[in-house]
Amino acid sequence: MHALKKLFKSNYLFTLGVIICLAWILAAILAPVISPYDPIVQDLSVRLNPPSGDHWFGTDNFGRDIFSRVIYGGRYSLLAGVVTVILSGIIGTFYGAIAGYVGGMVDNVMMRLSEMILSFPSLVLAMIINAVLGSDLFNTLFALVIVSWPTYARLMRSVVLSVKENEYVTASIALGASRMRVLMKEIIPNSINSVLIMATTDIGNKILMFSTLSFLGLGSAPPTPEWGMMVSDGADYFNKFWIAGFPGLAIFTMAVGANFIGDGLRDLLDPKLRKEF
Amino acid sequence: MKKKLAALVMSFTVVLSLAACGGGPDASPEDGGSGSADGGSKTVVIAMEGEGLETFDPGYVYEKYSHVVMNACYENLFKFYSNDGAAEPCLADTYEFSDDGLTLTVTLKDGIKFASGNPMTSADVAFSINRCKNLKGNPSFIADTIDSVETPDDKTVVFHLTEPDSAILSKLTYNAVAILDSKVAKENGATDAEDAAETDTARNYLDNASAGSGMYVLTKYTPNEEIVLEKNENYWGENASNVDKYIIQLQGDANTQMMTLSSGDVDVALNLTDDTVSELESNDSVAVINDPTKTVAFVMMNMDENIGGPVSEPKVQQAIRKALDYKGVQEIVGSGTITPYALIQDGFMGSKGTRDVSYTDVEEAKKILADAGYPDGFDIDLIITDLAFEGTPLTDLGQKVKDDLALIGINCNIVTQAWAAGYGDAYRDGTLGLTVMYWSVDYADPNVQLEFLPGGLVGLRAGWEADMDPEIAAMAKSCMEATEDEARTAILEEIQDATYEYGPFAMIAQAPAHIGYNTRLTGVAVSDPYTLDVTMINIAE
Repeated sequence: MHALKKLFKSNYLFTLGVIICLAWILAAILAPVISPYDPIVQDLSVRLNPPSGDHWFGTDNFGRDIFSRVIYGGRYSLLAGVVTVILSGIIGTFYGAIAGYVGGMVDNVMMRLSEMILSFPSLVLAMIINAVLGSDLFNTLFALVIVSWPTYARLMRSVVLSVKENEYVTASIALGASRMRVLMKEIIPNSINSVLIMATTDIGNKILMFSTLSFLGLGSAPPTPEWGMMVSDGADYFNKFWIAGFPGLAIFTMAVGANFIGDGLRDLLDPKLRKEF
Repeated sequence: MKKKLAALVMSFTVVLSLAACGGGPDASPEDGGSGSADGGSKTVVIAMEGEGLETFDPGYVYEKYSHVVMNACYENLFKFYSNDGAAEPCLADTYEFSDDGLTLTVTLKDGIKFASGNPMTSADVAFSINRCKNLKGNPSFIADTIDSVETPDDKTVVFHLTEPDSAILSKLTYNAVAILDSKVAKENGATDAEDAAETDTARNYLDNASAGSGMYVLTKYTPNEEIVLEKNENYWGENASNVDKYIIQLQGDANTQMMTLSSGDVDVALNLTDDTVSELESNDSVAVINDPTKTVAFVMMNMDENIGGPVSEPKVQQAIRKALDYKGVQEIVGSGTITPYALIQDGFMGSKGTRDVSYTDVEEAKKILADAGYPDGFDIDLIITDLAFEGTPLTDLGQKVKDDLALIGINCNIVTQAWAAGYGDAYRDGTLGLTVMYWSVDYADPNVQLEFLPGGLVGLRAGWEADMDPEIAAMAKSCMEATEDEARTAILEEIQDATYEYGPFAMIAQAPAHIGYNTRLTGVAVSDPYTLDVTMINIAE
């Protein structure tokens, strides 16, 4: 806790990242209170209006308020980022830990399996999964989890390989602890740091990837306000910057914020980079 | 010293380029805009989409933009001289149908010569049509109803048809049955034998040169760059155009086209969008056409109860037709959009014109829906694919339909499905319950719309079997047999009356084409069969 306070004081980028992310999360939770219009209801009488007092971020092709859509859009984009990272993090952690700790033949088989998935370009694989299962929010999240867990598994395995050589692990085994207990109580808690750090930086990546899928028409179905899809819609309106610009800005700030937090956590947790904490 | 020299050169270039830009739009009509470099010859530069241009061999040509070139270099027995009317004789002088509608006798005009100087005879006509049939290429279906071609003498061609086909004159305008110079074509490997699909080797030659009787000849084709058409010095008829040379730049991006058109580098831009057109409004030297094409978007409600569920009920279909906001759809698709009266597009022979936007009546729609047994509406999947309707994504139309139907209590859940990942097959197999799709015509004849009737290609996709509405299905058959224009118009009107408030299709929009052109030109117009008829364009004197 003390270290975290110090981090806030010394690392301004980390503080900024936390503020940005908290602001977006709050906005997403309080969307019905904040947004002045319904994000889905169309009003053709005000279509393609530039930013003004009535519509802070302007209106889109259907006369929908872009400010309200960006606020509501956070719900989907943030959900996509956080849920996929948590799910693939959990799957990857256990998978990698088991492979690394058990070793031998089991390790070989498990790792080749994960490499099979890694050998596909992740975006293309996600598109295939999405195209086959049909594109809705759940399938898109599922596709994102499928393509992202192997990275966590590989990271976890490599850390576990060195952690399991430690003396406290040997001591625990000597005391008669079961394999399961050693794995859960000794190995995983001592290797989880690097996964945590990677997860925070990955949130931004996943939002971008989800946006890319939506941009290609494979994410959530319209008229769901989702940042990537809004940028995609706006790309048809070359000289109306506000349609694609504001949701684009939202993706940008969220990705940058999550990255700042990840960088800060790395400084805090990584013993090799730890300075005066 | 060196620096000073460089600065001088720089400023000189800037001044020069400014002068060049300033000179663009005000250039006098005589110097032919960008063609002024060729010593005063009358040159017109056209910018158009170049992706998907596969061939200029009449036997294979099927892509939308290749018709610009084909129509300039080749001629057919019949031609559409305006975009809303029937096919008129071009190379044909007179024509006559037999009483049973199974034989069409055409006599050729006198004195027709090809660009090579060879005279045209009925043998050339028979060769061209048999070659198109036997190549079995993409457009060969156009000759499906032609059983055989007979040439009793040099000036007469007799078509024996497999069944009465009132669209045969329109089909004979299609570029795939353009009349080839059989002598030149044969010298370059063409054949009309039955095994032409394997033995014909002329495609390579015809991709880079033309062998027709049209006003222009194809002199250069560089894929994805440009096409050059030059005046046919041997043209047999009267030149309707005073343009000596067309340079077609293959540059499909709407924004680039908009900018080169307003700077005067390009005279005609074929692929503008609603958004780029608004940028050109203030430019005095540029005129814009937003005229409707024959491409239509429609809501399809499956007649099969197992697939369509509630929307298979004719009353629900009518409630949906009443609830759709046609005016709003027109706004979203862009200026120039219209709503066809029923299944036949506005502009076709026999069309009853447009459906008034005041047809929309939400209260009435609610009543009809309650009458059908759904006073509180229902939930349904609206399946949308990743295609665009002349530039408007179908997902946009889907969102509009969803919004309109929500007003009468029908709650649509939009499901997007890629064309290649199942939608295409489901659409063709007729297993989609409720969808928004579009249809562009293969050849310019109202008979193509008969496919929307029960038992037709598109009708079956909506689960509309011929025995469900035998009366309407019978109309399609008699329309095919009506070779007299008046009789056919009467049947087409009957068909529109029958489908105005009935059936699984709600036609929601007829898309416009946005063409921009320099005001020094006259005769630029939207053309469905030819995309742009360059033989009609003139440079104002």
